Amino acid sequence: MTPRKLNRRAVLRGVGTIIGLPFLDAMVPAFGSPAREGSKQPLRLAVAYVPNGIIMDQWTPGEAPGATPGEANAEAIGERGSAFRMPRIMEPLAPFHNDLVVFSGLTHNNGRALKDGPGDHARAAASFLTGVHPRKTAGADIQNGVSFDQVAAQALGKQTRFASLELGCEQAGIVGNCDSGYSCAYSNSLAWRSETTPLPPEVNPRLVFERLFGTGDEPRDPAQREKQRLYNRSVLDLVGQDAARLASRLGTSDKRKLDEYLTGIREIETRLDAAEKRARDDKPDFVPSVDKPSGIPVEFQEHARLMFDMQVLAFQAGLTRVATLMLGREGSNRTYPEIGVPDAHHGMTHHKGEPEKIEKITKINRYHVEQLAYFLDRLKSTRDGDGTLLEHTMVLYGSGLADGNRHTHHDLPVAVAGGGAWKKGRHLRYPVETPLTNLFLVMLDRMGVRPETLGDSTGRLEHLTDL
Amino acid sequence: MIPWLGVKWIALLPAVLLAAPDTFETAVAPVTTRYCGACHNAKARAGNLNLAFSSAREAFVDPEIWEEVVAKLANGQMPPKGLPRPTGAELRAATSYLTAELTRLARSRKPDPGRVTARRLNRAEYDATIRDVLGLEADAASGFPADDAGYGFDNIGDVLSLSPLLMEKYLAAADRISRQLIWTGPALRPTLHRILSNREEQARRVQPDDPDGYPYPPGAFEARHRFPVDAEYSLIIKVTDRRADKTPIVPVSFFLDGEKLGTFNVQDGEYQQGEWEVRRFVAAGEHTLYGAFPDDYIQSGPRDPQIPGSPIERRIFVDLFEVRGPNNHDPSRSSAYQRLMRCDSDPATEDCARKIAARTGRALYRRPLEAAETDRLLNLYRLARTQGDSFDHGVQLMVKAMLVSPQFLFRVEPASRDNRSLTPVELASRLAYFLWGSAPDEPLLSAAETGRLAETAVLDAEIKRLLADPRSGSLAGNFAGQWLQLRNLKTAQPDPARFPAFNEGLREAMMAETRLFFENVVREDRPVTDFLDANYTYLNARLARHYGVEGVSGRQMRRVELNRPERRGVLTHASILTISSYPTRTSPVLRGLWVLDNFLGAPPPPPPGDVPPLDEQKIGLDAPLRKQLEQHRANAACAVCHDRIDPIGFALENYDPIGRWRSQDGKFPIDAAGNLPDGRSFQDAAGFMKILAADRDAFTRALAGKLLTYALGRGLERYDREAVDSIAEATRRDGYRFGAMVRAIVQSMPFRMRRGEIIAKGQERQ
Repeated sequence: MTPRKLNRRAVLRGVGTIIGLPFLDAMVPAFGSPAREGSKQPLRLAVAYVPNGIIMDQWTPGEAPGATPGEANAEAIGERGSAFRMPRIMEPLAPFHNDLVVFSGLTHNNGRALKDGPGDHARAAASFLTGVHPRKTAGADIQNGVSFDQVAAQALGKQTRFASLELGCEQAGIVGNCDSGYSCAYSNSLAWRSETTPLPPEVNPRLVFERLFGTGDEPRDPAQREKQRLYNRSVLDLVGQDAARLASRLGTSDKRKLDEYLTGIREIETRLDAAEKRARDDKPDFVPSVDKPSGIPVEFQEHARLMFDMQVLAFQAGLTRVATLMLGREGSNRTYPEIGVPDAHHGMTHHKGEPEKIEKITKINRYHVEQLAYFLDRLKSTRDGDGTLLEHTMVLYGSGLADGNRHTHHDLPVAVAGGGAWKKGRHLRYPVETPLTNLFLVMLDRMGVRPETLGDSTGRLEHLTDL
Repeated sequence: MIPWLGVKWIALLPAVLLAAPDTFETAVAPVTTRYCGACHNAKARAGNLNLAFSSAREAFVDPEIWEEVVAKLANGQMPPKGLPRPTGAELRAATSYLTAELTRLARSRKPDPGRVTARRLNRAEYDATIRDVLGLEADAASGFPADDAGYGFDNIGDVLSLSPLLMEKYLAAADRISRQLIWTGPALRPTLHRILSNREEQARRVQPDDPDGYPYPPGAFEARHRFPVDAEYSLIIKVTDRRADKTPIVPVSFFLDGEKLGTFNVQDGEYQQGEWEVRRFVAAGEHTLYGAFPDDYIQSGPRDPQIPGSPIERRIFVDLFEVRGPNNHDPSRSSAYQRLMRCDSDPATEDCARKIAARTGRALYRRPLEAAETDRLLNLYRLARTQGDSFDHGVQLMVKAMLVSPQFLFRVEPASRDNRSLTPVELASRLAYFLWGSAPDEPLLSAAETGRLAETAVLDAEIKRLLADPRSGSLAGNFAGQWLQLRNLKTAQPDPARFPAFNEGLREAMMAETRLFFENVVREDRPVTDFLDANYTYLNARLARHYGVEGVSGRQMRRVELNRPERRGVLTHASILTISSYPTRTSPVLRGLWVLDNFLGAPPPPPPGDVPPLDEQKIGLDAPLRKQLEQHRANAACAVCHDRIDPIGFALENYDPIGRWRSQDGKFPIDAAGNLPDGRSFQDAAGFMKILAADRDAFTRALAGKLLTYALGRGLERYDREAVDSIAEATRRDGYRFGAMVRAIVQSMPFRMRRGEIIAKGQERQ
């Protein structure tokens, strides 16, 4: 049957019940409460990733594209018609030019081959948030680095119900080779919790919603909830012992799998602890302003916007401070017939300079940025403590490839919008080969996490508040 | 004595001279120096390969390179076209020396069964295990994050990681499943679900076999519905009759999961609607409702005269289904519940709970439980009882714990210092997950526990039984779905403007064709060579029309014998031809790669990083695709691989991007003739298929490698070569039968053994 178009604002609301809580946090809306008016709110981090690079001369603002080697410089970016150029792909962001910093000259050297041969797409996604060169393997011993969003999540995660959210708009069910001898784990996930544990994204907005706000069939009675917590804790206790006992009889690689298991168990236990401590706080339930989605929409725009909606809700309700979204898997061959591009995205990015293809890719790139604009708009129109949610959220947008045709990993398309106390409304050019991880270090500083280094970082990125 | 000696010596001399054993210096070095040295020397290192070795010793430090050298010399891929090639004698001397040396090296190595990492159940395995062990269609795994794939499969232990999100989902699923299994809440009140048909879709249908319309017969409707619990439900079908005269009376048939519930007549002319209800006991889970009119009923009304070419309005159609229920929901009537709660002690006693824990634990952990393990589970039961909860609650809590235990979620084989054989119980698990993607059932598990599974005859009988069981359908979905990349068909998006004929009905039929074909090979124990040249396939009206085959009507897939050379074997299935194409056009490169990788086990290396992939999308405008690709191959660096890839793809150019036969591509006639680097040539697709069929041993070996990867859940390594060779050989000896390949895999050392390793230090939980 032809899949029926799903209505984004569908279902659930009408019943008139307050939405319950997820089973795990049976468990009371521990931190699931909106900020009080006027309170100081923490800074959140949202990452949106697009695959296959971007047509750079339609992305880079300013009158003279191309970095000046050797020194950093900055220029203001403005709305269309003003003195400065807002190129086609960037155009949807014109209303947010004062919330935006666009970066040129930043590089991921570890996305490059470095003698590993082909596989730039896998490396682009794997290195994007880690700055680490992923080990080339089709399966055995996958290895990457901890991604910077997870550095933040691990430091701040205990303060919220979820350490982080990983979202995606494309199912990972593709079979065959993902990219030239790299396991699909590399092109399917951005976030890496440890060197060996990628965090695959959730693509079904309904499941994201249920995770955040419950399925609706959890017990409401406090005594019942209390008992549930006790039972869950006992179950976790037992299986934790099982795992530890088992681990003592295993070899190293098997034991690593058990460690992943134990990490998961501990994370849930931590959440239970927190839920118990706050059980008597008696805060009101957070009632989400968006209704429960009914499933995965067929059309990209609808899907992407729902995923952004979920992030807005999660931030607003204080359920997490860190979220990453892959608008497409790296190497994605999605088609976009709704904007007149029935061709496979990745296939087309090897355009060899053909104008017709470049035009189509530009359309896709712009379409993606339109969704980002939607997100920024939602954040800006949501109150959050003493300001708007956008003022309290750092939104990173970018791709691990610049030119998809030649698979370049330098001068990557990167923009940051929203909070973080930077001088906004600018396009900053850095000397060639400046590690992108230097920017991430600054972003982590802003989050209050201050690691020494990250991946291939050489220091903190400068000139974010001057020039 | 001396004369004797002399005579002997002299007599032997000529033979020694003639048969002077080849050495690296005499057989290989001259060839590599003369024919390879210009590019593969210390300085140029073309393809990062230097073949300038001073001695055999130095040359065999990395024997792997010689495997590739032999393969490339033998198939004519190297030296590149246009450069001098070794003579036949030179070639034979070099390759036979190298092959012998490689075999000798392989034999001298200690046998290595390889490292299999503890495998977490993947999504398909999780659902299947719950279904088979607990008797519940929980469909829990669709909410889990997708499993990543490695080596082409999503059951690879090293890649199956467990994120905190997944752990959380496991816990939630365990909670849901245990509650679904043991209903401790109040009985469900009946509710009403209405499933409306899509009138617009139904109206698009004009003829019963209209290829581009609604994928069901005129006016028919199919829907899936999830029934929450085992119980009786009222199933209602409503039909709307908009015909002016309401004649003739048309019967409508109502089906549940393909079983006919009944047929009734639409008679009520006054209200223009007919409604019919049937009450049935339905098991929890998803079921299919289907309502249809007889095949020979064809609406013959005129099209809308106002709109030329418009479809006629369907005047009689299934309007909707209703599901009302559960009626008189009694949780204790559920079969899964009864199966779980069975015990020969006094019901609802601790002793009974212990028996349930031991029995269910054994099925879920796929091994008998130690007494201490059962005790720990029983503590949960006791906890529930001390909290004032019921016996059922107590059991529910134990089941929940088992479902999140690592013993259930992982298939674990304890480590040992030295290589060891699997225990029969471990073997039973490997076998069941290989052939069923699910847990061993009672007969298999008890054969393992008594040790009888170690006997070849018993093992063979079990393999046969497992393959004949419907659960072996998992091989089609999970193995073939990935080996043939059939799963990609689900997300294939042929350009609707260019290929309006492609719709969901066709997609389903394509998928079903290849799936049924594969299942037939498994169940009927057909030769694997059927994949290459079978003259039968599975079609329904929609797909038959697509292929231009006549005499197939209706939407039911059925076996059809074909006597047309252009449809033979899986490679000519529309499914495969579609997934190896771009949305807007065919791709000889993708198709060539598909065949080399999946059928011949000889994927060319990915293009070097500094060369952008062959651009073949800008095509069809000024010159035939073929011309443009040929120009590209003038570049020797590209030609090395594309001389192998492209001709295969061109052989299939007569099939368009959705697998239809064509003789023109746009304005250019198709030229499907070609030459392979090894000198064989063909005129068209049929000719190429003959070559492929002749290469059945290479195909068999490739398939053996893929199936072994899937069976082991790890990538194959060099030391697996002998195992793959002997599996392929055993298959060949037994008439290429699929069952023979499976038996050989199960008998192989990597399947039966586990590599020794250092045992990790136990980490006690704080």
